[in-house]
Amino acid sequence: MIEPAVSLQSVTKTYGSFTAVDDFSLQVERGIIFALLGPNGAGKTTLIKILTTLMRPSSGDAFIEGHSVLTHGKQVRRLIGVVPQENNLDRYLTARENLVFHARMHGLSPQHYNPRIDRLLDLIGLANRQSDFPDTFSGGMQRRLVVARALVHDPQVLFLDEPTTGLDPQSRRVLWDHIQTLRSRMTIFLTTHYMDEADTFCDRIMIMDHGKALVDGTASALKDALSQAHIYEVEFRNHSDRYEEILRSLPFVESLERSGNAFRLVLTGEESLKPLMDSLGSSDVRKICLQEPTLEDVFLELTGRTIRE
Amino acid sequence: MLVMRRSIFSELVAVTAYPLTLYLAFGFGLKGYIADVEGIPYPLFIAPGLISMTAVNAAFTESAWSMWFHRRVQHTIEEYRVTPITVYDIVVGKIFSGFCQGAIKGMAVAVVIFILTPFRMDYANLTAYLIYIALGSMIFSCLGTICGTTIDKPENIGRVESVIIVPLIFMAGIFFPLSSYPAAIQPLIGMLPTTAIFEGARQALLHGTLNWRFLVVLLASAAVTFAVAAVTFTRKMSE
Ligand SMILES: Nc1ncnc2c1ncn2[C@@H]1O[C@H](COP(=O)(O)OP(=O)(O)O)[C@@H](O)[C@H]1O
Ligand SMILES: [Mg+2]
Repeated sequence: MIEPAVSLQSVTKTYGSFTAVDDFSLQVERGIIFALLGPNGAGKTTLIKILTTLMRPSSGDAFIEGHSVLTHGKQVRRLIGVVPQENNLDRYLTARENLVFHARMHGLSPQHYNPRIDRLLDLIGLANRQSDFPDTFSGGMQRRLVVARALVHDPQVLFLDEPTTGLDPQSRRVLWDHIQTLRSRMTIFLTTHYMDEADTFCDRIMIMDHGKALVDGTASALKDALSQAHIYEVEFRNHSDRYEEILRSLPFVESLERSGNAFRLVLTGEESLKPLMDSLGSSDVRKICLQEPTLEDVFLELTGRTIRE
Repeated sequence: MLVMRRSIFSELVAVTAYPLTLYLAFGFGLKGYIADVEGIPYPLFIAPGLISMTAVNAAFTESAWSMWFHRRVQHTIEEYRVTPITVYDIVVGKIFSGFCQGAIKGMAVAVVIFILTPFRMDYANLTAYLIYIALGSMIFSCLGTICGTTIDKPENIGRVESVIIVPLIFMAGIFFPLSSYPAAIQPLIGMLPTTAIFEGARQALLHGTLNWRFLVVLLASAAVTFAVAAVTFTRKMSE
C-alpha cells in the first residue's frame, strides 16, 4: 500500500476535562483535496494544530508522509505548508519580506527563493504591492499572501484552516482558482464552512462534530446516502394553517418545517406519497416536488440545527 | 533570527532623550550641590551607570514586548513554529534580538555622552566596560523573554517593569555610591546582579579593573536566566 499523505491514529486531545478531539483516526491519500467540515467548536482547528506540530495530542500519534509529529517534528515541518485560521503576517515586514523571512526559516538560499517568490507574487496578483505592509491590504489580499507564504518552500502537504472565511465571493473565487492549480502537485487538507466549496472543489469530504468523525466520502456519496430520506417541498395557495395541522397529524411525516405557505417535509418512504396526496387534496396545492438533498442538508442532518458559538 | 527594525533612528532619539535628561539634570544641574563622589566628579560618576541602564532597560523592554507581541498579537510565533526551525532557535533568536537592542541603544547614549563631555579616560578600559554591558544586556534580555512568555496581559508587563526592573536598577547605585547604604544592608545590595552590572561597569570604565566577584555573579545570573527563559518558553509552547 502507498503511504498516506496524512494519517491520524487514535488521536485524542483534551483541554482539562473537555475532550476536543476524541479517538480520531483518518488516512488521507496523496494528491487529493480533502475537506474537513464541522460546526464551530467541532475540533477542526485542534486537529490541524496537532498535524502541524503546534500542539501535542493527549494520546495517539499522527503522521505526515510517514513522519511522526511526536518524534520527527522537524521533518514534518519541512514537508508542510500551513495557512492558519487567523492571518499571522508580520506587520512590520513588507509583503515580500514576509515571504523571504519564511524562506530563510526553511533554510533556502536567495538564488533559490527569489525567483520562486517573484512567481508567487505574480500568481497571487500582489507583484506591484510587494513592498507595501500587510496592514494596507484587504482581507482577501492578506489571505492570498498567507497562502503564498505557505507555498514558498514547495510543501508536499498543504493545510488550510478556513481559507475563505470572511472573504467576499470574488476573493473566494480567486483563492479557489489558485488552490485548484496546486491540485496535482501536493496533498491539500482544508477545513471550511462553505458547503458549496467542499462540494465543487474537494475530492473527499469528512464531516465531524464533538471531536468525532460522522461521515466520510465524496460529495455525491454523502448526498446519495441522504437521498434515502425523501424530502419534499409542498406549497399551498391558501389555508396553510389548516394544512399545517393536517400535516402534523400524519404518522408518516417525520419532520416538518414551515416558511410562509411553503413546507419542507421528510417522509418515511416513497410509499407515503400517495396517502399524503390523498389527505391534502388538490385544490389548494400550488406545487409539490421532490428535493435533491444538498451537502448542506447532509451537514445539518448530521450536526443538528442549533447554533453554536 | 533578527527581526528587522525600522525607524531605528527616531527610536534612538527617543531612547537617548531620557538618560540624557537625567544626565544633564543630575550631572550638571546638581553639580554645584554635590561634591565629588569618592574623588570622581559627579557627571563622570553617573555616566557609566546611565549608559548601562539604557542598555539593560532596552534589552528587557525589547525582548519582553517583542515576545508578547509576536505571541499574543500577531501570532507570528505560530508561523515560526511551522517551519523547520526549533522552539529553541526561536527563544535564542528573541534573546539575541533583545541583547542587540540593548547594545545598540547603550552605544547611542554612550556616543552622545562622550561627545557632550570630553572625558579624560583610558580607551583601553572600554573592553572591560563592554563585558559588563554585554552580560547585563544578556541577563535583562532573558528576564524580558521570561516575562513576555509567561505574561498574557500587557499591563502586567508594565507592572513588572515598574515594580521589579526599575527598583533593581535604581537601588544598584547609579546615582549614589553604595557606601551611602547603611552598613547592615550593604552585603544584600552587593548580591544584586544589577549592582554587579553598574558598580562593575563603573569600576571598569573609570579604573580599568575587572572585579571577579561581580563577574561570577553576572555569569551565574546570565546562565540561570537563560536556562529559565529557554525552559519557560519550551514549556509554554508545548501546552
Ligand atoms: N486552548 C484551548 N483551551 C481550552 N479549550 C479550547 C482551546 N482551544 C480550543 N478549545 C475548545 O475546543 C473545541 C474545539 O475547538 P476548535 O478545534 O478550535 O474547533 P473548530 O476549529 O472546529 O471551530 C472548542 O469547544 C473550543 O472551545
Ligand atoms: Mg477553527
